[in-house]
Amino acid sequence: MFGEKVIELLKESERNRETLSPFNDEKIRQIIEEMHILFKLNMNDANATSENKSLWTTVQVRHSALERNKRCLLAYLYDRINKIKTLRWEFGSVLPPDIRELLSDSEYDWFSKYSTNLATFMRSLGQDIGYSGIDLTENLRPPKSLYIEVLCITDYGKLELEDGDVVMLKKNSRHFLPTSECQTLIRQGILKQIT
Amino acid sequence: MDTEDLELSDEEEEITADVVLKTIQNLWQNERLSPEILPHRNDMVECMLGQIQHMERNINKLPKTDLRASIHKMELNRIKYIICNYLKTRLDKIEKYCITIVNDEKQRTESGTNYLTPSEFRYAQEYLLSIEHHLKETILNRVPGNMQAFEINKMAIVPALQSHVFLKANETVNGIVLEDHFGDQDEEIDLEEGSQHILQYKFIADLVKNGKVQLV
Amino acid sequence: MDPYEIEFIGENRIASIIPNFSYDKIYLICGEFGPFRAGLPMNVPLWLAVMLKQKQKCRIVPPDWMEIDNLENIKEEEKRSRFFTKMPHEHYMVEAKLILGAASEDIPNASEIKTIIKDIWDIRMSKLRTSMDALMKSGGSYGRLDHLTMMEINSVKPLLPSAMNELLKIQMTSKKSSSATLNSSTFSQSGTSQNL
Repeated sequence: MFGEKVIELLKESERNRETLSPFNDEKIRQIIEEMHILFKLNMNDANATSENKSLWTTVQVRHSALERNKRCLLAYLYDRINKIKTLRWEFGSVLPPDIRELLSDSEYDWFSKYSTNLATFMRSLGQDIGYSGIDLTENLRPPKSLYIEVLCITDYGKLELEDGDVVMLKKNSRHFLPTSECQTLIRQGILKQIT
Repeated sequence: MDTEDLELSDEEEEITADVVLKTIQNLWQNERLSPEILPHRNDMVECMLGQIQHMERNINKLPKTDLRASIHKMELNRIKYIICNYLKTRLDKIEKYCITIVNDEKQRTESGTNYLTPSEFRYAQEYLLSIEHHLKETILNRVPGNMQAFEINKMAIVPALQSHVFLKANETVNGIVLEDHFGDQDEEIDLEEGSQHILQYKFIADLVKNGKVQLV
Repeated sequence: MDPYEIEFIGENRIASIIPNFSYDKIYLICGEFGPFRAGLPMNVPLWLAVMLKQKQKCRIVPPDWMEIDNLENIKEEEKRSRFFTKMPHEHYMVEAKLILGAASEDIPNASEIKTIIKDIWDIRMSKLRTSMDALMKSGGSYGRLDHLTMMEINSVKPLLPSAMNELLKIQMTSKKSSSATLNSSTFSQSGTSQNL
């Protein structure tokens, strides 16, 4: 049946909405082959329609199948483009090898162009006022100094925080500390989180 | 959220940093909530970037442990977040509605009412070219001869201007016509200052752009 | 917008603190604050109040509206009225959440206050559901929603606007359009009052 393969292709994308699956080169090749067969059949029958009007419907159905295949193939690529875009925002301009493998060569070219275009744009920001650009991939979440309350289990001594504050960690003292900066001490059993 | 801020900024007068900040906050909020891309306000963004730069220099003069330094840093992080998120939101729309935006923008540039900054416009055109190239290389050049066209009009995604949005009126605007799609039952409403409504974006798109309403 | 962004916007509100240190005025981009005098109340943005509190550099003074008597009044009025009453301000939930979260030891009767605020929120949410229901049933494409705060409006996204978009689509495609009028629903009784 015409158009079945292309639906399988789209379902493949649909199944993994968030993640990228490997580029399905083989299926695309088959679909394009199907299109060439349909096209050839139509060319032959179109020439014959002047004598046999009943062929006209057949030609039209094949034409719809051709249009549909084209549309779905483009939708497949476009959906992947959107997923590939998010890779740039997550990983930056260098992709980890296992992810790079999922892209076709043309997709990888596209990724590089996207990456360059984005970098050029970000560099241009504030250029007129002598600014060297802004990295838009940072600062995408509302800033929160996420602190948690902790209880000190043993006498540890001074702890210098990233912002320069120095905290004295004494046995049984309680502190509000940045979540990110006390994870190690919690794992080591020096601090205990109080909920 | 003050209405006067938006009007002030069109003129070449000195405005204070806190007014610029409020304006950018409102622009960001509108951009986040409107279905279409809004006219850029690069003047405000650059002005704020200048402020940030100035402040960063001052912070570097303070001792690292100074409480004031961490307060200033926190504020700068907040402002950077707004600016980054604002610009990213615009990029997302530029990418999504790329074909529509590039077409509209070409006409707007002729009449000098462009919505995009020069950098954004360049970005949009490059983006569109790269997509066209990729689709041609992978699919279009390989399909039968009469199917190879990159049908730009079929590919275009148009922002849904008829979608419903929430808004708050910054000032009183009377006589907003809610056109009935069947033509004969138009309704007229007034937006009193401070009142809130939900209605189709297309009826108040102009009011968002001139700052008379704020999307919420 | 996600709840974090609403909270972020709400954090710009001015709150009152009592610092335990003294400092000169600080010149922020959003305005000047101070001078800080140990033991004397002063105003700062909520984000700064929370930050100083976390560094144990101040006590947060709860706003007047967060007193139990005031909250009971708000709750009673909200119960009595068919419409949404005017809340203390646009970001009452954010303010309460942040202050109670960061500085509950500074607030007398914190847990009681939490409960009343939660009650008020629940009453309003249930009204909101009723209003949305009425709006949809009237086939409306327009509604007025005075006195709803940003967080409350955000809680009905994307449900309400997308339901209205769908309804519009159905009306547009329906050929039998004679009965489809553009009914509007009014969420509140009068439009003269403001929310801010």
